[in-house]
Amino acid sequence: MGISSSIQIGPYEVFYPLKPSVSSAQRYGQHKLPGRLFVVEGIDGSGKSTQLSLLHKWLEAKGYGVVFSEWNSSPLVKDTTKLGKKKKLLTPATFSLVHATDFADRTEHSILPFLKAGAIVLCDRYIYTAFARDAARGMDGDWVRDLYGFAVKPTAAFYFRVPLETAIGRLVGARDGFKYYEAGLDLGLTIDAEDSFRLFQGRILEEYEKMIPEFGLTVIDATMPVEMQQAQVRQIVQSHLVNAKELRIQP
Amino acid sequence: MRQTYGKQLPGMRLSDLPGKLIVIEGTDGAGRSTQINLLKPWLEELGHAVLDTGMTRSRLAGDGIRRAKERNNLGRVTQSLFYATDFIDRLEKEIVPALRAGFIVLTDRYIYSLMARAIVRGMDPSWIRSIYSVALKPDAVFYLRIGIEQLLPRVVFSRGFDYWESGMDLFPGQDIYEGFCSYQATLLAEFDRLAEEYKFEIVDASADAETVCGYLKKKVLEIVEPVHIQPPAAKLPDTFVESLSEKIFANLTRGNENVKHRAADPFPLTAPTMQVPLLRRNGSAPTT
Repeated sequence: MGISSSIQIGPYEVFYPLKPSVSSAQRYGQHKLPGRLFVVEGIDGSGKSTQLSLLHKWLEAKGYGVVFSEWNSSPLVKDTTKLGKKKKLLTPATFSLVHATDFADRTEHSILPFLKAGAIVLCDRYIYTAFARDAARGMDGDWVRDLYGFAVKPTAAFYFRVPLETAIGRLVGARDGFKYYEAGLDLGLTIDAEDSFRLFQGRILEEYEKMIPEFGLTVIDATMPVEMQQAQVRQIVQSHLVNAKELRIQP
Repeated sequence: MRQTYGKQLPGMRLSDLPGKLIVIEGTDGAGRSTQINLLKPWLEELGHAVLDTGMTRSRLAGDGIRRAKERNNLGRVTQSLFYATDFIDRLEKEIVPALRAGFIVLTDRYIYSLMARAIVRGMDPSWIRSIYSVALKPDAVFYLRIGIEQLLPRVVFSRGFDYWESGMDLFPGQDIYEGFCSYQATLLAEFDRLAEEYKFEIVDASADAETVCGYLKKKVLEIVEPVHIQPPAAKLPDTFVESLSEKIFANLTRGNENVKHRAADPFPLTAPTMQVPLLRRNGSAPTT
């Protein structure tokens, strides 16, 4: 009947998912937009947020228009996520879906329009976080990869690799305990929060390792000094900035 | 063993789901909720436990969707996924538990409406199908089909035009009447396509509600397990005893205002009429 072709879909085509039969490397639309998209990934305590904020300052100082988008921060969806977490309503499937909904809102409102405008978009956690966590909760890997088929492929995705014990060592004392879902306590692996965190994050680490070749993640050794990691990150980012729009803003 | 459309959610056991899943689908204004409101009490009277459910009724996402729609900045991908969240929450927390307990689940819309709405908003059909591949295959899908011409008077003379039902997010340049016609026509075409693909039972919804309901009842009876009551005439010693005690009770309480109705009908102790007081006392309707 071809009715969907009569609807104006226009610019959305750039990130519409392709047929599920294609490999995941091809599935996410390599965008042809003037902006650049850099994302950081890694378990809690890997130091990725620190690295991203240093990158942010450097790019701004260089005069680029920089936009930052954080995992799980959509104003439209956060009440639902909060309700689900507070009342422990979330199952692995609905946990996956509320996060995908949140990510969709940010893609439609905070990521895609800025990439079109030529900005540099920085994301603290991206689709790989969902793939790792949802797989650790027992969701079907292909299903979750299809779910995020609308995502824009990042210009570069940095994975901050760190041993579990190093990450836990950094978190202990720095946080107000281990949170229910972050520690994977919903899975009932064990009742002790720290043990559960260890088991759950261990599963997540395994998933990240599998995704390095699958998605071509750029691995940064997160046990190195902060400065050395940042130098590597900036080096790689710089190589992607050739011909990038310098939306000069007041420094 | 129940089936899904391809994938299975973690922790969802597909065996031992004896209930029946009956879907009422159709475009806006086709009379879906009217039919469910007629079918539910009828099924309950026949002895079936019924759960009715529908879009945005989930505990998790119902309010979130309503709030997001009020703000009018709900993107199309976000909208599709918000509805998927609502659906999966109801699937896991309402539909499957009810089927496990042997309920008849009457659902006002199912994945098909959600797919149709997403597809007319330009989503890739294979993407939306993949998301809903975890849904259970229903026992029946009744598609209440109505053309735009028959639908228009219902809308104009009852609730008026609605922003979302007129696809104003899709056709912002048009006035709401034009938007309604364009959107509903597009949706109808997509429904017709889905009807073929998923083998819907097509019901002409332009007929009056009672005619439609009569047809639906006939079809529903083909699916649900009948509630059998032992015919009392043949051999029913227990009934006989109960009936006898009923008569004694009536005699004992004669003149007592509170129980007077029990003694109102005389019932001789002959087999064919013994069922009458029993059925009345249980509050069940006599079977015809």
